[in-house]
Amino acid sequence: MNRIAALVGKDLADLRRHPGLFWPAGLTAAIALVLPFVVAIVIPRLTGELLSDSSDFQIAAEMYRSQSGARDLDPEGAIQAWILQQFLPLLVLAPVAGSMAIAAASVVGEKQARTLEPLLATPITTFELLAAKVLGALLPSIALTVVCFGCYVGLAAAVARPGVFWILLGSRSLAVAFLLGPLAALAALQLAVCVSSRTNDARSAQQIGALVILPLGGVLVAQLTGSFTLTVPVTLSIAAALLLFDALLMWIGIALFDRESILTRWK
Amino acid sequence: MSSIRGNVSPLIRADHLTRTFGARVAVEDLSLEVGGGEILALLGPNGAGKTTTLRMLAGLIAPTAGAVSVHGETMDRSTAARLRGHIGLLTEAPGLWERLTVRENLLVYARLQGLDAPATRVERALDLFEIRDRAGDLAAELSKGLKQRVALARTLLHNPDILLLDEPTSGLDPESARDVRELVVRLREEGRAVLLSTHHLDEVDRIATRVAVLSTRLIAADTPAALRGQLFGVRVRITVTGDAQMYVSALERIGVPDVRVVDNVMSIDLSQIPADIPAVVRALVGAGAEIEAVTPEQPPLEDVYLRLLSDRLATQHEPRA
Repeated sequence: MNRIAALVGKDLADLRRHPGLFWPAGLTAAIALVLPFVVAIVIPRLTGELLSDSSDFQIAAEMYRSQSGARDLDPEGAIQAWILQQFLPLLVLAPVAGSMAIAAASVVGEKQARTLEPLLATPITTFELLAAKVLGALLPSIALTVVCFGCYVGLAAAVARPGVFWILLGSRSLAVAFLLGPLAALAALQLAVCVSSRTNDARSAQQIGALVILPLGGVLVAQLTGSFTLTVPVTLSIAAALLLFDALLMWIGIALFDRESILTRWK
Repeated sequence: MSSIRGNVSPLIRADHLTRTFGARVAVEDLSLEVGGGEILALLGPNGAGKTTTLRMLAGLIAPTAGAVSVHGETMDRSTAARLRGHIGLLTEAPGLWERLTVRENLLVYARLQGLDAPATRVERALDLFEIRDRAGDLAAELSKGLKQRVALARTLLHNPDILLLDEPTSGLDPESARDVRELVVRLREEGRAVLLSTHHLDEVDRIATRVAVLSTRLIAADTPAALRGQLFGVRVRITVTGDAQMYVSALERIGVPDVRVVDNVMSIDLSQIPADIPAVVRALVGAGAEIEAVTPEQPPLEDVYLRLLSDRLATQHEPRA
């Protein structure tokens, strides 16, 4: 554990001195943070037309208000809460997508900087190395998720109808933000680190790692179309599957990590 | 078989190491050992297998055949991580994390090595390597010489008794290179086993106790003086007053066959004659010569190295019977 902590500390210190690496994550998160409020609050205010006046939204609002916790909201508040909750996976995934740059460069970056050989000459194990590299990308991603989620709820409290922000603090939202999000992030970042240890180009790792984002992007679209809802049991089931997938990815990562090839064949 | 054995009990030993990469043979049947208080210099052209040898000895890559043992224990998958604790590997590039300070770089490695009180060990290393005044500087801001010194400090943090140094003075200015050489000598004096890969032959001449010349296989291995003797004989240079040619016949009378003369200097090969230096001096004085100086003649190590390599090349191209 000490070795993992040492290497994670190094990666975080490196990131602090090179914050530009995290800019894509911050930018993506900012867009994901603002976009739902533009749809739910800014556009209706600019046009002077309430969302609850739209017949399309009325059906969704009625369905949504049948859920516990949403019954006390007025029609406009229910629609705002529905939109903000549907967009939540986007907010959670944005920092992950951004952290992909860090994860993708993790092993190949060490190789290119010629820092990998002395590192491998220490008693560090492959598991410790890969775990440290994944955590070095995951922790900033989770920190950004926490900040974004705080801003999301804070913005909802400030500009949305009364009571909407309480919906965002419900178990469903919290499970998506702090269980599904980190586990999906872990899978994506592990995949990126795995690929980073097999390729000599960080961009390949980034692109392949991003594949994990796609199914979760699909969840967002499915939610918006109403064909799928991330209820607490559904979220927990997906989280359990992701947990297994994460363990499998670590096992595969260790099996694929070939110190010799990395040292002798990469140029 | 290519082999080199030292005179002291080995701390690290390679037995018949062979490493291939696909069809290419990088190192073939190499045996060597290095004991405490020794500096073994590994010489060879680019691609001779020096770095591959060091990586095998450090447990970073496995040999295709043969074995490495450290303190008498064979290195394999189950022992490599533990045995690496006895070894300090200085890679060809310093390999510092550029956006971390010198202190941070060392601290991460102290923790990766699992040292007790890592911060104390780092502070001690900063003093030992005289880099305390740069401890807070980013590695990116250091000169190449200072980076190398920090890399050496990192290599020695866990106090290894075996040091594998891959071209430690490569690209350094003369002053920095001298600092590194002095440090390497100090390490030898502390009783550590040092295996040094280098292209700097003058450096080898100054600090190495033994030399191994590698070109995929081990071509030759011995002390620098012994290698000179084997290839060029043991020559002495005698400076006399006046024309040295006048005294050649006096030397031929005592059986010296190959006397080379330039002006007032004669050069003879002691390995080819029955007489010793006093007998030579007596013969010259008896012939009326006034001797100004008698000095051993040392061909540069570069000549030894190039001769060994050209002999190897010639052997390779000899038609097979």
